[in-house]
Amino acid sequence: MKLRLLTLFILIGFAACTNNKTEEKTEITNKKKVITDWARPAAKGTMSGAYLIYTNTLNTTDTLVSASSDVAMMTQVHESYTTEEGLAGMREKKNASVAPGDELVLERGGLHVMLMRLKQDLAEGDSVAITLNFKKAGEVNYKVPVLKSND
Amino acid sequence: MKKLVFCILASVLFACSNSPKVIDDLNDASFEMINQDSVAITFPDDYKGKYVVLGFIYTHCPDVCPIITRNMQEIQEQLGSPDDIQFVNVSFDPARDTPSVLKKYKEVRDIGANFDFLTADTTIMNSFLDSVRVRTQVSLSTVNEKGEKFYFLNHSDKIMVLNPKSQVIFEYGGSMTRPSMIVEDIKTVYK
Repeated sequence: MKLRLLTLFILIGFAACTNNKTEEKTEITNKKKVITDWARPAAKGTMSGAYLIYTNTLNTTDTLVSASSDVAMMTQVHESYTTEEGLAGMREKKNASVAPGDELVLERGGLHVMLMRLKQDLAEGDSVAITLNFKKAGEVNYKVPVLKSND
Repeated sequence: MKKLVFCILASVLFACSNSPKVIDDLNDASFEMINQDSVAITFPDDYKGKYVVLGFIYTHCPDVCPIITRNMQEIQEQLGSPDDIQFVNVSFDPARDTPSVLKKYKEVRDIGANFDFLTADTTIMNSFLDSVRVRTQVSLSTVNEKGEKFYFLNHSDKIMVLNPKSQVIFEYGGSMTRPSMIVEDIKTVYK
C-alpha cells in the first residue's frame, strides 16, 4: 500500500514538473526579439531613415536639439504625418521634448532620424553611428544595425 | 413562374460570384515608361494577362515609401513569388529617379524577379498619376551648407491590385495596410 502511494506521489510530481517545463518552453517560443534601434538600407546619394528609442533618466524634461551621423551629408529629425488633404507628408521636427522617465520613440511612420544624401551605400549587415544631441543630457551615441526588414 | 426562376438563378449567380468591383479600368490606357534596367515598358499593356500589385514611391523618401516597398516585398514573399503576379513600383519623382537610381534602390533592398521600378518622362508620368488618382506636392525644400538643395514630396500612400484585364480591383493605404490582408484579398481572385 505504502509503495503504491509513494509511486502515485512520484508520478504526480513528475507530471507537474513536466507541465511546468512545457509552459516555460512555450513562453520562450512565443517571445519575439524586438530590435528598436535600426536603420533602413539605402543607396549612396539617397536618403535613409533610422529609428531609435531614448529614455530620459534625468529628473527634468529634456529636449532633442539635433541629430548627427558621419554616413550622411546632412542629418535631421523628421516626422511623418498625414496632411489635411490626406497625403503622406514629412516635416522637420525641432525640439522634441521628453518628460522625466519617459521614452522618446523614433519609429516608422512617426518621428525618425533622416540621413540625407548618404556618403555610402547602407546594406543589411552594416551599422550606422548616430548621435542625438539633447539640451540637458548632451550627446547620446548609438550604433544601429541596417536591417532590410524590421516592420 | 419563369420570372421567379430567372430571379432565383440571377440571385444564386450573384451570390456565387466573388469578382470584386472594378475601381478603375486601365485597359484602354497606354503609358510609355522605362524600368530600372532601362528597358522600355508600356504600362499596362506589357503586364496584361498578369495580376499586378502596383505601388507609388520616390527614392528620396526615407520613411513611408520604404514601408510601402517593404510591404510589397512581403506580399510577394507571402504569395510564394509566383511568376504570374507582377510587382511594380512607380516613381512619382521622375526628375531624380532615373533608371540607374531605381536600379540601386532595388539592389540594396535585395528585391528579386517580377518586381519592376518604373519612371517616365515627366509629362507622361503626370498623366499616368492623374489616371490612377495619385497626387503629389512639394512639401519641404531645404539647402545644406554646401548649397545643395533637397526637396520632399507629400504624396498619396497607395498600393493597388490590377487584374489580368488591367482593371484596378483593390486599393489600400500602402504603408498602413498589413500585407497579410492584401494577400488574403488577392487569394480570393487569384487561383
